[in-house]
Amino acid sequence: MSFLTTKHTLVRRSVRAFCERELQPIAKELDIEARFPWDVVEKMGKLGYFGIQVPAALSGAAMDSVSYCIVIEEISRACAGLGLCVTVHNSVGVYPLVAFGTEEQKQKWVPPLAKGERIGAFCLTEPNVGSDASAVESTAIRDGDHYIVNANKVLVTNGAVADTCLMFVKTDPAAGHRGLSVIVAERGMQGFIIGDLEDLSGNRANAVSSIRLTDCRIPVSHLLGKEGMGMKIGLAALDTGRIGIAAQALGIAQAAMEEGIRYAQQRRQFGVPISRHQAVQMMIADMATKVDAARLLVYRAAAQRDSGGPFSKESAMAKLFASEIASEVADMAVQIHGGYGYTKGYPVERYYRDARITRIYEGTAEIHRIVIARSVLEEYK
Amino acid sequence: MPLNIIICIKAVVLEAPDGKVIRTSETCALNPFDRPAIEMAIRLRDEAGGTVTAVSMGPESGSLALYEALAMGVDHVVLVSDPSLAGSDTFATSTVLSAAIRKLAPFDLLLFGTRTSDSDTGQVGPQTSVLLDIPLVTGVTAVTRKKANFIVERKIDEFIEEYEVALPGALTIHASALQPRDASLMGLETAYGQEQFTLMTLKDLDILAEQVGDNGSPTKIINMQRIQKKRKCEMIQGSVEEQAEELVRRLKEAGHIG
Repeated sequence: MSFLTTKHTLVRRSVRAFCERELQPIAKELDIEARFPWDVVEKMGKLGYFGIQVPAALSGAAMDSVSYCIVIEEISRACAGLGLCVTVHNSVGVYPLVAFGTEEQKQKWVPPLAKGERIGAFCLTEPNVGSDASAVESTAIRDGDHYIVNANKVLVTNGAVADTCLMFVKTDPAAGHRGLSVIVAERGMQGFIIGDLEDLSGNRANAVSSIRLTDCRIPVSHLLGKEGMGMKIGLAALDTGRIGIAAQALGIAQAAMEEGIRYAQQRRQFGVPISRHQAVQMMIADMATKVDAARLLVYRAAAQRDSGGPFSKESAMAKLFASEIASEVADMAVQIHGGYGYTKGYPVERYYRDARITRIYEGTAEIHRIVIARSVLEEYK
Repeated sequence: MPLNIIICIKAVVLEAPDGKVIRTSETCALNPFDRPAIEMAIRLRDEAGGTVTAVSMGPESGSLALYEALAMGVDHVVLVSDPSLAGSDTFATSTVLSAAIRKLAPFDLLLFGTRTSDSDTGQVGPQTSVLLDIPLVTGVTAVTRKKANFIVERKIDEFIEEYEVALPGALTIHASALQPRDASLMGLETAYGQEQFTLMTLKDLDILAEQVGDNGSPTKIINMQRIQKKRKCEMIQGSVEEQAEELVRRLKEAGHIG
């Protein structure tokens, strides 16, 4: 694959070996118990997984986007919930601080995040805010050198374990999306309240929860960029973030395909392994083709980002396609397993649940189709 | 006293080939038995100061192993590569490595894994040490410093042997000695960013073409074929107790259990 160098081969091998040893054996139990594996996260932090693209001067690994995708893909192959944690932390949690933070802000927040000593979160979604970010109802009202922030954020990825949270709030509620700003809230601040864990269908190792700020006084120095830059920061973060979610979906699809193939080669019906039956071979061919196509789109989007050019369309295509084939491939893997695929005795049941959300978060499939269509129509104008 | 440590490593082939071995970055990896030795080298250096230099002989496609060593924390890597080296057996390999190591001298400690996962001879460490005329302890599980020397342990049957080794000396490190570290992403990125390979060819070594490759190899692989495992499944009939008794009887008969 032309996007890949020998460095990428080594990155994959290294991350895969770690995840197969540390994460894969406990993935089932993390899912059942909805447990966040702090011990594994600590080891990942030391290996640079929480600062994959952060500059070395800020304690990161300073890697390219293709390497980034490989890391997320491999973590997600072992445990989707932790793949989600790592990609959201890196892309929408840390990247906006690196891209839009002042030197002082970067020095303060980025190194502990990059080392995994602190976990990042991106707090945009509210009870009445999903795809329409301009509808944010949370507010930050200036009071001297502080903002008084009142926010109700829901379905926050990493929410219950997050230390450093990018809060999307209205600093000028009358100005629509032009009044949207990003303020960094930290766990432990007075008025910073973490809600109960969501009882998720999949990705259960991730501590998704609500976060509420009640009359929380946050210094003005915590404003990221300028007032009114919220939409710009959010869109830049999500452009990057969706490549990571595409890589997560790809990792889930890869895991589902591998289990489907393995089972097909073991399970015997009519005197032969079911992989000898053409009906099963059709599914294996489709799974392999879809996974390969998704991988090409994901790495292309990453390579496009590395080249410095615009990559919104490419990342939207990668996210849309990878998330949809993840569900399709997981579905086929369940089908190959027959009744056993519908039990918790086999991991495909978990992949099936893990895959579903990738079509919803970091921009729904429908929103991505709009992004792609607009871009394509522009090209053919 | 800072230590100058040299460690010999190999890029092994990942899967048994059909016929001729083709080495590419996809088919090769760092020998897993070298990892604990690299870990030992890094820890000794971190304690005492000094440098660790990894040396490998093989085609450039095997450089992945050297990058991995760099990513783990080795300071320098040397690749000894020359078309004339193709076909070298363990003796010719030891001849080449000892010649390269002489060029890298002075050194304090020379480390090896105990064996490789592909050819599995365990000969290169001992042969290279003999050619360099330095003391050697094999299968070492622990190393501690005693003034200018090292006290090393090796497990053998029910005993732990202890040796005092004068420097420069050579050790092969047993795989159970240490849990090797994972390469960090920072390490991998830095390894590929520095391009700090030293390449040695035959003309850099004071040896002759007759001493290496096919010509310098007293042993030759005449043929290589996959082992065809003939397995058959037999169902033992009867009640569970009868099946268990019959299974035990057969295993005894076949000499698998006492």
